[in-house]
Amino acid sequence: MVIEYAIVPFLEWLSTSFVYWLMILGGVVAAALIGSWLVVTLRHGPVVAFRCVGRVLSDTVVDLALIAPRRVLAMAWLAVKESIRRRVVVVFAVFLVLLLFAGWFLDPASSEPARLYLSFVLTATSYLVLLLALFLSALSLPADIKNKTLHTVVTKPVRPSEIVLGRILGFTAVGTVLLGIMALMSYVFVVRGLSHTHQVADADLRAVEQIDDGEPAIRQGHSSRVHKHRHEVTVDASGGVRVELEHGHWHDVSAGQSAGETVYQFGPPRGRLVARVPVYARQLRFKDPTGEDAEEGVNVGDEWGYRSFIRGGSLAAAIWTFEDITTDRFPKSSFPDGLPLEMTLEVFRTYKGQTDDPKTIPGILGSLSVGDPKTGKPIEVRLFTAKDFATDVQYIPRQVETPDGRKLDLFKDLAPDGRLEVWIRCIQPMQYFGMARADVYFRARNAQFWVNLAKGYFGIWLQMVLVIGIGAMYSTFLSGPIALLATMGTLLGGFFSRFMGDLGAGAVMGGGPIESLYRLVTQKNLIQDLEPGLKTTVIEMIDHVLEYGLWVTSSLLPEFDRFSFSEHVAKGFDVSGNLAAQCALRSLAFLIPVFVAGYLFLKTREVAR
Amino acid sequence: MSPQNTFQRKILYLVGIVVLLTLLSVLGRPATRGTEQAQDSPGGYLAQLRQKSGLSQAELGQIDPTSETIKLATFGMRGVAANILWEKANRYKMKKDWTNLAAAVRQIIKLQPNFISVWIFQGWTFAYNVSVEFDDVRDRYEWVIKGINFLKEGCQYNQHDPRLRWETGWTLSNKIGNSDERRQFRSFFKADDDFHGDRPLAERDNWLVAKSWFRKAERLVDEYGVKMKGQGPLIYRANAAKCQMSYAEAIEDDGVFGEVARQAWKTAADEWQEYGKIDLPGFGGVVIQLNDLEEREATAEKLSREMDALQEGLRGQIREEKKKTLELTNAQREAWETPPAERDTAQMILADEVEQLLKVSDPEVARRITGPARKQAQELAKRSAANEAVALAIRKARQIVNFEYWRMRAALEQLDDTLAARELVYDGSQAFYDGDLDTAKRTFEDGLAAWRKVLDAYPEMLADPTAGDDLMDVIERYRQILELRDEQLPKNFVLQDVIDRYANRE
Repeated sequence: MVIEYAIVPFLEWLSTSFVYWLMILGGVVAAALIGSWLVVTLRHGPVVAFRCVGRVLSDTVVDLALIAPRRVLAMAWLAVKESIRRRVVVVFAVFLVLLLFAGWFLDPASSEPARLYLSFVLTATSYLVLLLALFLSALSLPADIKNKTLHTVVTKPVRPSEIVLGRILGFTAVGTVLLGIMALMSYVFVVRGLSHTHQVADADLRAVEQIDDGEPAIRQGHSSRVHKHRHEVTVDASGGVRVELEHGHWHDVSAGQSAGETVYQFGPPRGRLVARVPVYARQLRFKDPTGEDAEEGVNVGDEWGYRSFIRGGSLAAAIWTFEDITTDRFPKSSFPDGLPLEMTLEVFRTYKGQTDDPKTIPGILGSLSVGDPKTGKPIEVRLFTAKDFATDVQYIPRQVETPDGRKLDLFKDLAPDGRLEVWIRCIQPMQYFGMARADVYFRARNAQFWVNLAKGYFGIWLQMVLVIGIGAMYSTFLSGPIALLATMGTLLGGFFSRFMGDLGAGAVMGGGPIESLYRLVTQKNLIQDLEPGLKTTVIEMIDHVLEYGLWVTSSLLPEFDRFSFSEHVAKGFDVSGNLAAQCALRSLAFLIPVFVAGYLFLKTREVAR
Repeated sequence: MSPQNTFQRKILYLVGIVVLLTLLSVLGRPATRGTEQAQDSPGGYLAQLRQKSGLSQAELGQIDPTSETIKLATFGMRGVAANILWEKANRYKMKKDWTNLAAAVRQIIKLQPNFISVWIFQGWTFAYNVSVEFDDVRDRYEWVIKGINFLKEGCQYNQHDPRLRWETGWTLSNKIGNSDERRQFRSFFKADDDFHGDRPLAERDNWLVAKSWFRKAERLVDEYGVKMKGQGPLIYRANAAKCQMSYAEAIEDDGVFGEVARQAWKTAADEWQEYGKIDLPGFGGVVIQLNDLEEREATAEKLSREMDALQEGLRGQIREEKKKTLELTNAQREAWETPPAERDTAQMILADEVEQLLKVSDPEVARRITGPARKQAQELAKRSAANEAVALAIRKARQIVNFEYWRMRAALEQLDDTLAARELVYDGSQAFYDGDLDTAKRTFEDGLAAWRKVLDAYPEMLADPTAGDDLMDVIERYRQILELRDEQLPKNFVLQDVIDRYANRE
């Protein structure tokens, strides 16, 4: 699976992110206080302004500290009732229609249909739920203010903080129920969509090997064709049936009789809906062709620089450093064949190789080694033929033999502190292997697929809660349509915040907004330098200001796509607790200031006093 | 605004709506098929225009409910949606996410099933660009077939488009038959039940299947008058027959000789002959048939002779006058004075230039004839020039498709000696791969001797560079065998003339 940004350990992430969050929060609070003080100073003088600001601060602390759960729940229940009144159930109808017709557009005959099905349900749910959250949260409070129904609430002993929090919680509760039901429907849709069976009759099998005179032969054949694929079936002398992997799955087979003939009936597909639990390396480093340390490998001309390549027939190597490789994690009872190392290497050939054999062209050989911590040198474990764009499983034995015949224990001798180095080299000269850090990992176990799907929906839930929070915050001081637009803008900005950040940092080819506009109008390509002069200087100056603004905005916006786990779920990788926890905390980190801001905005409105 | 004004405005709107709907109804009336009681109706103006331009969906090809639904669901924004999907497809391709690339492309074609360039571009992407990214040759084949199936699907949606048929034929022939992996691709193709269905084993050859697709494209051009955009008929009409030649070559590469190979070459020769009979647009706007060159040249020569008879010796006289006034470079003079058999390639070109300068055309002769024969001379010159123009156009066209080489090749490949020569060289190569150098050498020598006989029977073969290069490959393999035995080519080597002519050719 492609992971373009590193997921650092939780505590390490927390320590840096928390400080960063406090700094930004401090900056925003300070700016708000100074701004308020200045505004009041202009009207009433500095002393009064100081007193005013102090009072608001103290009121805020009191209001937040004295939030009563009972009143919050009452407010939340009001929000739930309002949502039901607004017929949120329409979303179900839309979702059902989508699922009904989705089968037309999703190709179960694709080589990875599970990916397509899962991506579809997660994306469709995400769009629908976010839209629902957007409308509910942004339009609710302004409508209440406009209809004066809020007056009946504010006349009761209820704090503005409770009104805002109640709305957020109420809409979240409604969204959560909706999301839960949609998750259930999605699960059924995916399982049913991918479900299929095959058949193969005795007559379809042909003998390929005579074991002994009088003994039955090994027979082979192909199953019936369903979803545009067939499986190769081998029936051995004892009647055992083996089904080859095809389109990423296999089937269990049972033999039965039909019209006096043995018919092998296939069970449901297996191996498609999985949740691998990978142990990724802490670090990937390289050796260059002379054996010296290098920051990265070679670029073979790919536009996408995700993978680095190492040259074959040289000392070039890619070295993954894993941590926490212990017997507790990989007990012999569960891993009798050794530690399963899964690899998705890319192969780049500078020549085609031997093409005379009409059946095949030999693959490129690689060597898999583990690092000896005492010598720092690799000990070869096995040779392998690289398979690109597919997951290849190689096992690292628990006992490794050195070239001089010594037998080393993998855990005691090679990973005494849990740190294990895995070396990969390309054996054949002038051919290359490409790799990234996440391309090689140990498969620690398989998690439950449905739990992983639930985690995928948890990611959508986090996005939903954020949108509700932001929508509720805007709705405290903007009219309905404007709050809707502002929330939508924040949502879109959040999805593109990384791009905005890059643009703000000047890392995007083609310059800032004004330069891009100028290039568009004058049809200049991105590479061409602008001619020096006053015009270019002015464009660049304006862009500098705008880029700074973009950078600040992107830093404040939540990166919505970071909360999506659909790629993990669709590609069959477990969403780790670490990742889920980071996203949950990140979501909370945005929600707290958003809630406080919402409370302050509502508090300053006439209606809430 | 008074109630009366409002009422008038409403009436006006109503009248406007009625007029517009009536107009729309008349213009958009659909065409109907005739019954016993009523005749065919061509429909309204819009229906007729649609019919004329072949724009109705039923006319264009298969109607797919999925495609129609997705088109409707985009509310007229399908261009924008296709653009976004195209962008996504590019990103998936860059990130080598083939599953999503295929899914995005499928969505694009659902949105725009009659946009031919999309089918061609993405079919090419699958068969050529994606397939080479895979290391395992079976994966590569799978993507080549995906590309071909994609193009075939495009044909179903676009039943009158010859380009898609041509592209399908091209991918089947060029990608499967000419890649570095052609041995593997051809063997996988033969065994591909999913692709062929119940097609007999003997017909499961990529070249033969490609030929059938090229023929389909030609039929669409002939039957519906649809143009093959971007290609002239000289080229695309040659494809089917060339596929038959390539088929014959390929089965010999696979070790199939004897009557099967002879029959394959005979079919190729017949099809090439048929290709030579097709009316083609030629250079200078004339209509040509490639087979006609010899006849046109003979007619032009006959007419020249008739003109020469009107005033004997005049042509020679004009040529002598030209010789006296002609200014030649030293190189041209030296080349021209060298006997033709001793000229090297550069000299041949220079001597040809001089000959062209000295050539006396029929109109030149006609202009010098005076008296009562002048009118007849001008008439003869005109007819001769017309024939010469057609002959020139045919010569140019023949050069483009290497017509004469393939005609000669298809004829001589049917000979017993050629078949024997090829079989012996094949057997020798097999022995060489098996490491049996004695057998390889002996068989090669028999094969080379058989080639000698062919060259003696068809000396013009030696003059053709393509045939010369083919023979040089055979000689090189023989030289390899000798080198492994620490031997060298014998001094009186049987194909020394081929080496002399082609060994140092660039």
